[in-house]
Order: sequence, then C-alpha cells, then structure tokens
Amino acid sequence: MSTIDTGERRRSGDARPVIPELIDEATIQSIAEDAWTALVGEDELLLPMPGELPDDVLSSWVDVVGPWTGTVVLTTGRQTAAELTRALLWDSAPELLDHEDVADAFGEIANVVGGNVKAALPGPSALSLPEVGAAPAVRNSADVCRVEVLWRGEPLTISVQGALPPLPVSQH
Amino acid sequence: MRALVIDDSRAMRRIVSSTLEKLGFEVNQAGHGREGLDVLDGGWVPDLVTVDWNMPVMDGLQFVSAVRANPAWRAMTIMMVTSESEHTQIVRALAAGAHEYVIKPFTADALRDKLALLGLLPQEVAL
Amino acid sequence: MKILVADDSRVMRQIVIRTLRQAGYDDHDIVEAEDGADALAKVSSEQPDLVLSDWNMPNMTGIECLQAMRSSGSTVPFGFVTSEGSAEMREKAANAGALFLIAKPFTEDTFKEHLDGVIA
Repeated sequence: MSTIDTGERRRSGDARPVIPELIDEATIQSIAEDAWTALVGEDELLLPMPGELPDDVLSSWVDVVGPWTGTVVLTTGRQTAAELTRALLWDSAPELLDHEDVADAFGEIANVVGGNVKAALPGPSALSLPEVGAAPAVRNSADVCRVEVLWRGEPLTISVQGALPPLPVSQH
Repeated sequence: MRALVIDDSRAMRRIVSSTLEKLGFEVNQAGHGREGLDVLDGGWVPDLVTVDWNMPVMDGLQFVSAVRANPAWRAMTIMMVTSESEHTQIVRALAAGAHEYVIKPFTADALRDKLALLGLLPQEVAL
Repeated sequence: MKILVADDSRVMRQIVIRTLRQAGYDDHDIVEAEDGADALAKVSSEQPDLVLSDWNMPNMTGIECLQAMRSSGSTVPFGFVTSEGSAEMREKAANAGALFLIAKPFTEDTFKEHLDGVIA
C-alpha cells in the first residue's frame, strides 16, 4: 500500500466507489469457476442460478482493505460446506470431518476467490486472513454485488459487500 | 463543530487536534477509550470522534462498541485511525459501528477530504 | 530435493503437494510449515532446497519470512503460492527476492511452467 495517505487517489477518481461501479457478476462468476475447476475438479460446474439456502448455513470470508474496503463472503448450507471440504481433500478426506477441516477448506476457498476479486479491484489493497462463521451483515445495500450459483445442485452465494456505511445525504 | 481525539500517543493527539482545529473544529482529547467515554459521559458530545485502534485500558474496537450501544451518541461520526500493520482489522471496527477510517501516516488533505465526504466540514472550508 | 511447503491451510498444503506429484515432481522430500514463523524455523532446521509459501499467514507472513531469510544471508530459492496474483504483488515478491509467484487457483501446468527451471 502507498506509504502516505494523501487523499490523492480519492480526489482523482470516484471519492468513494461502490462495488457495482468496480466489478460485475460475470467477473465474480468467472473467478469462482476458475477456483472450482482448479481446486475441486475439472468437470465441476457452478450454474448461475438462484437457489434457496437452507436454514443451517455457514459462511467464510476475507476482507479487502484499500480504495474499496469490504468483504468477499461465501455462504452455503452446512452440509454443502462439508461436501466441498471432502471434494477439496480428494483421497485424503478422513471418514469423519471435524469443524476444523471444514473451516480450513471453506476458509481457503474464500481466500482464493477473495484474492482474485481483490486483484480485480483498484489497488493497492490488502487481504485479511479468512474467517468462518455467521456471515457479516451488509452495511450498505448500494455497495453489494451478489452471485448465486448451484454447485452439484446445492445453492451457494458469493457476496462482495462494502464495509463503509452509506454517506450522509447532502444538506446543500 | 466539535471533535474528540482519542490516541495514546500525545504526539499523534497533537497532530490530529491541530489539523482539526485548522478546519474549524473545537477539539477535546483523551488518552484511551475509557477516558474518551468519560468525556462523553460528562456531557461533551462531539460531532466527530477520531479513535486510535491500539490503546491500553480500552482499545478502539471496545470504544466503538461501547459508543454504538448508547442511543444518545448515535449521531457521532466515528473515524478509526490505524497503522498499516493493523489495517486488515479495519473491517471489524467498521462492523462494530465506525463510519470511516484513515491509515497513518496521513496528510491533512486526506483527513479533510474524508471529512468533506462525510459532510463534517463547515461550508466555508469545504471546496 | 527437499521442498518446504508453507501455508496456514492444511487443505491447501495437501493440494500443493498433490499438484507437485501430478506435475511430475514426485521424487522429493516434503516438509510442511503452518505459518511464516514455522517456515523460518524449518528453513534453519530442515535445510530445504526450495520453499513454496503462501503470502498471508498468521504469526508471520510469507513476505516477512522471505525478508528475514534474505537478511540473514539465506539464498534458499523461494516462490510464492498465493491467491493474490496482481502485478503489484509480483513486483513486491521479486523485490524481496522470490523467484516466482504462482497464483491460486493453479493447475499442474502452472506448476510445471514455474518449477521446470527450479526443480530437476
């Protein structure tokens, strides 16, 4: 990142860009597809179709801090997250998966998708370590880009969401 | 416009206070989150609070959580001040209720631009 | 050849090891490290011929590990395997003394491309 925050970057471009100005669903879809084909398997498909998430969901995410600051969040059913973990482990998947295995695998997928989303956004920026748990809340509904897919028939969502609250309405 | 500057570094408090005073703010200072809350409890409620992230006794994250829990202080704008090594934590501060952040070292222009965006600059100062 | 694989994700370490095998580099000793500090310690204790490291890790990042290695005079070949493959990251990696940066997600072909000159 630049050593001194002079505000130059902000003054020269959009003062505070929101995500729909910076990236689109197709790009996020493509990033996710590349991650799945490389890590899960060549024949894996992510169908761009909405699906209804079950009640018991798990999310994994990484934060991006830079000219745009926010989070890349993956959300899917807990069972699907476990299936994804097995798929990533290939032959070395243990009989019984523990929470650590799922957190590791699902977190790492968020890291791979998030890292590539970060690269598509204005820089320089920094990426956090992945976290797993209940999805972070959306702070500004105008600063979200969301992709819904079906993996092996199961719904999975990828949300790129800004962390800054909306600016106050101008009083001029 | 009032501003409360919270930082355990006296030098940092002086720099930020001076910048804000030049922008037309009336400024008060505190050395950590607990002291900041004492100022607010005393009835001096600012429009802007700048909070350092890493402080003894009560750090920035704890301070933000305490402030956001009090409806009487909802109108305050909270700006986190963080260093490059800690900045990947900034989303946590924002999720707890901070409104903006700035990474040190920062110039007076950078701070002023963010304040302008947030509508916190008196009209004569904003361009 | 002894290869040190550093990543805080056990799953990713296994994927890297499996991809090394798929790419044809299957006759080597593999040592694993779970963060930059662990990697730095193992560079000393295990004397690997190559380090393949993630960038973002707790305790010490991959770039910090590399910088510590180079400052202490270690010339062990080092390459990044990271989810961040931008031009800016590649430049940082090269400036710190890394031989290459493999972006995740990678395939066995990506590995062959980057490692052919490095691993026999």
